[in-house]
Formats: sequence, structure tokens, C-alpha cells
Amino acid sequence: MRFQNAAKDARAIVYAAIQADPVVARAAGLLADASYAERLLARAAMNGETLDPEAWRTMFPTLFGPGSDDATAIRAEAVLAVSLDVAGRGEQARNQFRGAIVEALTEQLLGRRVPPTAIHRERRILFDGVATEIHPYDVTVELPGAAEAYDCKWGARGIGADVLNQLDDARRHAADDGERLVAVLVIFDAGRTCQTRLARQTAPRQGLRMVTLETLDRMAGTTVARR
Amino acid sequence: MATTVDALLRRATDSLGVLADTATPVEDEWQYVRDLVTVWGGALRAEADARAGHAAPAGAEAAIDRLAAEAASIKDPHRAIDWLSTLPLVALVAVGADPR
Repeated sequence: MRFQNAAKDARAIVYAAIQADPVVARAAGLLADASYAERLLARAAMNGETLDPEAWRTMFPTLFGPGSDDATAIRAEAVLAVSLDVAGRGEQARNQFRGAIVEALTEQLLGRRVPPTAIHRERRILFDGVATEIHPYDVTVELPGAAEAYDCKWGARGIGADVLNQLDDARRHAADDGERLVAVLVIFDAGRTCQTRLARQTAPRQGLRMVTLETLDRMAGTTVARR
Repeated sequence: MATTVDALLRRATDSLGVLADTATPVEDEWQYVRDLVTVWGGALRAEADARAGHAAPAGAEAAIDRLAAEAASIKDPHRAIDWLSTLPLVALVAVGADPR
């Protein structure tokens, strides 16, 4: 089993510009340290209709109401501002930015558990005698004997047969090579929704690990959000 | 008389129906939409039943009102599907529940 940079085709070049946009790093940095409610605010606002910040403050009284402390309100305001920045870029752009943010967030959280030099983006995993998958993995952890492959999605609708099959194939081919590869699906959506989506899927999911809105911090080696 | 948690969560459940109607044109996701309404409607009703008659916390009524307005303003069916997962979480957090 070995890793290789994905080819820089036209799609990758366009998407690389999205990934490099400062708003992606800003959002990922804020969300890495955010509480569950703040991450939920980001999901709602980045996917919402209104761009009026007061509307979102009203919808989240636990973050912005009189019972919220100053530190919480300041953090929540920062999350709201970056979320509305993304939401305001239009439907097509926000879809791409949201995906890039989940990838960057995954990279940041993994960086709290493994050396940053072991974390890579947009990588293919190659196995002898096996045709290479078309789509690269969003994030990989490349450590001897402890490799991990992450596919990142904004919502549970991203769970489909193609995604499940690719992760399962990689895990099985690694096992055939005598290697261990942990295949993980990261979804910035509710765990209950993801399970609902998975329940109707017939593709294999044995050995698949799933990280959802509630369990993101597990990637950092912790079980609960810092706040 | 103060608004109760169960009254607010039943209002949020109604908004799920609004979102499901908006999502109707996405025929490929019809079953998924029905599944989400069933699962999240059940979760909202379970919390409502558990806290029936409890006074809603400060800000919760305005939050649910604004949440319902946001749901009603969504016209894109794909966004409505995403909101079928988001709205219940926001509603539960607004009334002080922990949906995790």
C-alpha cells in the first residue's frame, strides 16, 4: 500500500483555489475550537436562507441570549460572521466552500493527535494489482502501520454507494496487503441523520468509521468538545 | 401564561412538515425525506412529551418563531432536505435540550 498525490486536473485546480481561500482556514480554525452549539450554528447559517445576523442570534438564545457569558458570545459572533461570509457567496460557491471547510477542519483536528507531517490532502491510495480509484481521499494520515483515510462530507446526503464502496475497497485491499487502514467518513451533520441515510444503503460498511457533528473531537483524540 | 417546551417543540414539528413539502420535487429523495420526518418528528415529540408543561427557557419562543420563519422561507428543495436535519437540532438546543 502506498500513497500518491492526486493528478492536478481542471477540477482539482479550481477546487484548490477554493481550499486556499482564507475564509476556509478561518472557519476551520474557529470550528476546531467551537462547542457543539457553535458548530450547529455554523451548519445552520451556512445552509440557511437569511443573511441577517440578528435572525441567527434569535434562533440561538443559548449562545447570544442574556444567559450567555461574554466569552461564549464573542466566539459565537465569530462563528456567525464566518458562516454568513460563506453563505453570502451564492449557492454554487457555498457548496464548494462548505466541503472545503469540513476537510480543513478534519485536518486541524487530526493535527492534535498525530504529527502534522503525517497528514496529507487529496491523496490516492495504491495497491499492487488493483486499479486506482478515480477519486482521491480528502485527508489521509500516513503513519507506518497506522494509516487512515478520510472522506469528508457536508451533509448526510453525501453518503452513497460510491463513497461506501471506495472506503470499503481501500480497507479490504490494505488488509489483503497485510496493512491496517482505518477508513473514516466525516460528515458535518447529525449522527441520527447519518444513521437514517445509512439504513437504506446496501453497500458494505463493515469496518467503516463515521464521525459526525457530535463526535468531531474524536479525531483529535478526545471524546467531547473543549466547550 | 408562559409558553411551554412541549408547545414550542410541537410548533417545530409542524415546520418539519413545511420543509418536507418544499422537498417534494426531489423525487429521488422521497424515501429519505419521509425517513427524516419520521425520525426527527419522533425525536421532537419525545422531548415534548418528556417536558410537557415545563416553562420554556428565556428566548426559546422567539427562537422557535424565527426558526419557523426561516423554514418557511426556504424555497430550494435541496436546501429543505438539509434543513430537515438542521431544524430539529436548532429547536432542541433552543429549548435547552442536548440532542447529542
